[in-house]
Amino acid sequence: MVSFPFVYMLYTSTQYWIALRPERSFAGLGNYRSVLLSTEFRQSLLTTVIFVISSVAGSIVLGFALALVLNEKFRGRNVIRALLTIPAIIPPAAAGFTWKFLLNRDVGLIGGFFLPLLGVKRALLGDPGWALFSVILADVWCQTPLMFLILLAGLQAIPMELFDAARIDGAGFGQVLVRIIIPLLKRVLGLAVIIRFIFAFTTFDVIFTMTGGGPGIATQTLPLLGWKTGFLYYDLGQAAALAVVMLLITVFFSSTLVRMVKL
Amino acid sequence: MKLEGRWKLFGIVFLVIYLLFSLVPIAWVVISSFKTHYQTLIMPPKLFFKPTVTAYKNVFLGGMGKVFLNSTKVAVIDIFAAMVFGIPAAYSLARFKSGVTENIGFWLLSLRMAPAFGVVIPVYILMRRFHLLDTTVAVNAAHLLINIPFAVWLLKSYIEEIPVEIEESALVDGATRFQTLVHIILPVSMPMVVTVAILIFIFSWNELFFAFVLTSSEGMTVPVLVASLAGSMTFNWPLLCAISVCSMVPAFVFAFVVQRHIVRGLTLGAIR
Repeated sequence: MVSFPFVYMLYTSTQYWIALRPERSFAGLGNYRSVLLSTEFRQSLLTTVIFVISSVAGSIVLGFALALVLNEKFRGRNVIRALLTIPAIIPPAAAGFTWKFLLNRDVGLIGGFFLPLLGVKRALLGDPGWALFSVILADVWCQTPLMFLILLAGLQAIPMELFDAARIDGAGFGQVLVRIIIPLLKRVLGLAVIIRFIFAFTTFDVIFTMTGGGPGIATQTLPLLGWKTGFLYYDLGQAAALAVVMLLITVFFSSTLVRMVKL
Repeated sequence: MKLEGRWKLFGIVFLVIYLLFSLVPIAWVVISSFKTHYQTLIMPPKLFFKPTVTAYKNVFLGGMGKVFLNSTKVAVIDIFAAMVFGIPAAYSLARFKSGVTENIGFWLLSLRMAPAFGVVIPVYILMRRFHLLDTTVAVNAAHLLINIPFAVWLLKSYIEEIPVEIEESALVDGATRFQTLVHIILPVSMPMVVTVAILIFIFSWNELFFAFVLTSSEGMTVPVLVASLAGSMTFNWPLLCAISVCSMVPAFVFAFVVQRHIVRGLTLGAIR
């Protein structure tokens, strides 16, 4: 049952197949050629690279910082942890709407109130560069809690004695972080990056809800291109070919990472 | 690890700023859902206004109750089906070892790595052939493709930790494998079963892409409604906010329960 979609995906990718028409014919690698050589693919690939790198880096750094702070014991910690979890478990579509609403020039708290106070009066989601920045921000907002929870679980597995020993030896927090925490957390960090990479690489909901890939194709990452190809133009063959390409990239990256951190 | 001195100060400031960043957007949507359309347009926004529940009335009297019913139905059937298939499968994988079952983990993971628009193609073609497009059945079929392997993997890792001895005594007393599963393994695994059920509920309730491709009106789920209204030129902001708030209710309920389990779910049991 698990393999069936893959086999079918591979099969579809070798067919000229428009969903609404009955006929289809063998294409060999024709679909792969059309996909990989199109300028739209190259544009989307570039957008995806920017999106993935910034979003992964942003959420890991913020998540790590949060994990360090909330590894301390203080009153209300559990409540704060639960509150921080909320953005990660609301529907991503609702998260996309939330940010679209927030950034709106007429009614949004940011786009309609804070930015005009700073003298900025523009529709953020209508400007290619700012739109990409906004979807990255929204994605970081959704995904940081998950990274925070994973890294916190990792931190709590580090025995306290190590910190005490370092303290007695007179090490400051910066040294403890670089010399003890990060090396010990390497495996967990690696795992977090892999999970986060896979999520960012296949993100659809937030971007689709916020911009639909626009303005133009400024925020169109590969999953949006795939959806457009397969279910707007109904070119199932090309969509499947793109999916196979993306899967290969994912497998390549995660296996490289797995080897790097020796999971 | 105790943060001290300036690090402590940094920590507190960072936490406060992040909490604001994290929660103000949601609070803003919740507040706006109690406004009238005219009130949302007032800038700078007023902190005190006369709240109204008109938007919520419109959601449930305006025919959108059905969408919420669909989502609930999909989620419940998802949980039920994933358990019926998942528990026996997890049990046999945990107890009857072979070379093949050892490496099955990678396969179970692989569907989550693949882009959804590729995975949905076969489901889409099948559902169209059986004239099931735009029904919740189609959405269930697509979700279970992800949820059954997920349930199997988490339950398997849990059952493996249950000592075999408690089963063996039952087997010696003449119980069948099925009886030991139902009367011994299942009660012991209950915490994990509940965890998996909650995680499946969240996945299913939140999932947009499969539902979006497979349904258009009758079988529509909540995220599809949110996404399509947000993408359209509807400017009834309080209504949109009210729908979003309703879609977030499970998250508000589960936030306090699931934090720890999410880690287990995300890493498929690698980190607890």
